[in-house]
Amino acid sequence: MEVVTAPSVSLSTIGSWQAEGVRADQVVSALSELRRHEERAATRTSVMTLVIVVRTPEEAQSHLDVVRHLGARHPSRTLVLVFCDDDGDDESRMDADVSVSAIERGGRQVAVEEVVLEVRGQARYHLDSLVRPFALPDLPIAVWVATDLPGRGDPLLTAADRVVVDTRVVGYKRDALNTAYSLTHRVAVTDLSWWRLKPWRNLFASLFEGHVYRPFLRNVQHLEVSGHAGPRHLFAGWVVSRLDLPRTVVHLDDAEHLSAKLVASHEGRRGSFAVERKGDERVIDASVEIEAGPQFQQKMQFGEDWQSRAVADALSHMGHNETYEAALEAALRLLR
Amino acid sequence: MTFNNAAADEDVNPLADPEERPAPPAVFIIFGASGDLTSRKLMPAIERLALRRLLPPGFAVVGVARTEMNDDDFRERMRELVEKGGGGGAEARHVWDSFVGAFRYIAGDYDDPDTFERLKDVLAELDNERGTAENRLYYLATPPSTFPTVIKGLAAHDLNRPTSDDAFVRIVIEKPFGHDLQTALDLDATVHEAFDESQVYRIDHYLGKETVQNVLALRFANAAFEPTWNRRYIDHIQITVAESIGVEHRGSFYEQAGALRDIVQNHVMQVLSMTLMEPPVTFDADGIRDEKVKALKAVEILTPEKVKQQVVRAQYARGWVGGDEVIGYREEEGVNPHSTTETYVAMKLRVDNWRWAGVPVYVRTGKRLPKRVTEVALQFKRVPHLPFAPEMVKDLEADSIVLRIQPDEGITLRFGAKVPGQAFRVRSVSMDFFYGAAFLEETPDAYERLLLDALIGDATLFIRSDEVEQAWHIVDPLLQAWEHEDVPLATYESGTWGPGEADDLMAADDRRWRRP
Repeated sequence: MEVVTAPSVSLSTIGSWQAEGVRADQVVSALSELRRHEERAATRTSVMTLVIVVRTPEEAQSHLDVVRHLGARHPSRTLVLVFCDDDGDDESRMDADVSVSAIERGGRQVAVEEVVLEVRGQARYHLDSLVRPFALPDLPIAVWVATDLPGRGDPLLTAADRVVVDTRVVGYKRDALNTAYSLTHRVAVTDLSWWRLKPWRNLFASLFEGHVYRPFLRNVQHLEVSGHAGPRHLFAGWVVSRLDLPRTVVHLDDAEHLSAKLVASHEGRRGSFAVERKGDERVIDASVEIEAGPQFQQKMQFGEDWQSRAVADALSHMGHNETYEAALEAALRLLR
Repeated sequence: MTFNNAAADEDVNPLADPEERPAPPAVFIIFGASGDLTSRKLMPAIERLALRRLLPPGFAVVGVARTEMNDDDFRERMRELVEKGGGGGAEARHVWDSFVGAFRYIAGDYDDPDTFERLKDVLAELDNERGTAENRLYYLATPPSTFPTVIKGLAAHDLNRPTSDDAFVRIVIEKPFGHDLQTALDLDATVHEAFDESQVYRIDHYLGKETVQNVLALRFANAAFEPTWNRRYIDHIQITVAESIGVEHRGSFYEQAGALRDIVQNHVMQVLSMTLMEPPVTFDADGIRDEKVKALKAVEILTPEKVKQQVVRAQYARGWVGGDEVIGYREEEGVNPHSTTETYVAMKLRVDNWRWAGVPVYVRTGKRLPKRVTEVALQFKRVPHLPFAPEMVKDLEADSIVLRIQPDEGITLRFGAKVPGQAFRVRSVSMDFFYGAAFLEETPDAYERLLLDALIGDATLFIRSDEVEQAWHIVDPLLQAWEHEDVPLATYESGTWGPGEADDLMAADDRRWRRP
């Protein structure tokens, strides 16, 4: 699983606690104790409880790095549940690592709480029962299932207001998009693959701002989207669902990087609107060519810390993302 | 095959993310393009908007100024100055590369018709080459004395009206909007000869600050606050706009302005109206501005006699600010040694409406005060009966809610709590909410926000002509009284919270200024 982060944020540990073979209530008490009598942790400004489900302690650390950036934007309690490998023992067991830290940014400190629970035995199949004791009162719970796609019947979903997944982690199979679509009927879903497409989507959309260009969207003749299976389907699904285009105008090709080109006409003039990433430079080229009209290009660089930004952006919205859901539905139709 | 889809028939881009608010194609024309405001505020805002992908490919900038430069010089100079000011970086490189061909410059005098002829030609070229769709946003970043000349020049060359129903022409005007009520009315008349009010965007960058906008969110999105926001619960309101700096290099400008024109007529009146206004019916430009004007209309217009009683003006003298010894106002460069220009104003205002009758508003603003702070404090009335012995509550102050606009933007709630221990003692405690700690995400700079609003056509955070006029109605009597009546000018030591006369103003009502 790729985890790309921005440079480290300044983090100072206020207090920490580790224990093996503990109960959830002991961990909650330890967390409270760490905060007590500590001035820097006295004020907590939280907007959510974030739960991350991973499979190894190493993944726990790499995702906490992402969340620490997130903490600067969505101060929260973070609960990392490590779904440990089956060691043949059915007995439930939990090891905990709890810390209260201060993130500094812009000269101000924000206290963040991190709880890492390594879960073994039968308890692994009842993670929802671990989420509830740690949930901050009356605040939304976002569950980031980092290395898999939860099934629609996963009990963890009952504890979640929003589920964050990445359809890319399972290889953009059709099943992945199907599963994600199925999840949207149960809970609000954030697909990091969708957010990864945001620079492309924004730039492509910007080509049609204004009364000179927008009318071209009424007469779309051809939409060509290239890229890996998955992103190209999501991107094409987005355009198709927003413009209500028929399948017949859509052409999909395999390619290393995403690109999209829309050909349309307005008042007898043909217009071509394109976005494309050339080579490995993190730059997207956008271009517009209108017969006997404006022709221009624009370049846009996109940052390397997309994952923190994507998660942060995604968690800004707690409700259903209807645009994504419609794009996903259209993507599935394109896959048929 | 051609497919006719209905989605694009609407007036919105069906592909645009409704939360992103990208600007439409347009030419941004800056008069005063070689000046300080352009390089310090406008260009960094343009760079950031481009980095946030909020400027469309069909966007161009035309600079107009007297300084001789060509297009490339202008673009490079702006790029260098923005970088020097902390902008730039790898991502910005692509932004500026994209601006090649989109940055044009016209050197000329504002009273020379040829300047506007060339502007007209350049705009037509950009529409054709860059697809700027005949949309124009003019920005007057020139000295106020040139505003009428530029406005008349635009009108004389038919550059003041859109060329089609789909296109727009807007003009952004920087404060000060006049020097007093009459000059403000004169300027308005000139503006309205060329532009409809709907085309005019009067900018006060204070309104672009997130935390000023947050006053509206706090008041009108929370059932917890608004029910107490009235004369039944509030004893009085204090508005403080304090600066620790002096006049810096603006001595000669400040001599003509003073604290009343520089701060009270615009910033204070904006904060005041947002604090006092009734809930708007709609959260759009006119919905909000209608209520702000109504609030300002309820503010007492002071008579000359009341100016003497309710207003304190003062000038800073030598002193120490933050460990630095500083000179007095009359010693500043560009300042008349016998100047009577005020660097501090404190005033008490009455608000004559149902909500605020009997609740005085105390305003103070000044330079060389102990620290830079802008805040609105609403002090609650005391509870009608304290069921505690006097010694139990001797440390208890009246409750208050403080909206901190800058710095440390946020809210402080002061209330009484029991002191732990065997004895029953109640004392005041403060609970601070730091806006920046809850949302540490980067907030847009005020100019970035306001420029985008002007491009989009959202006038909510711009000042309407009747707001300007009403603010001058409140402020003008003070200027008249200071000019024609015998109103003393107090002095205060730099680094203090103002003259003793300002304390006396509060003491007369058995109140005192907060220490921000």
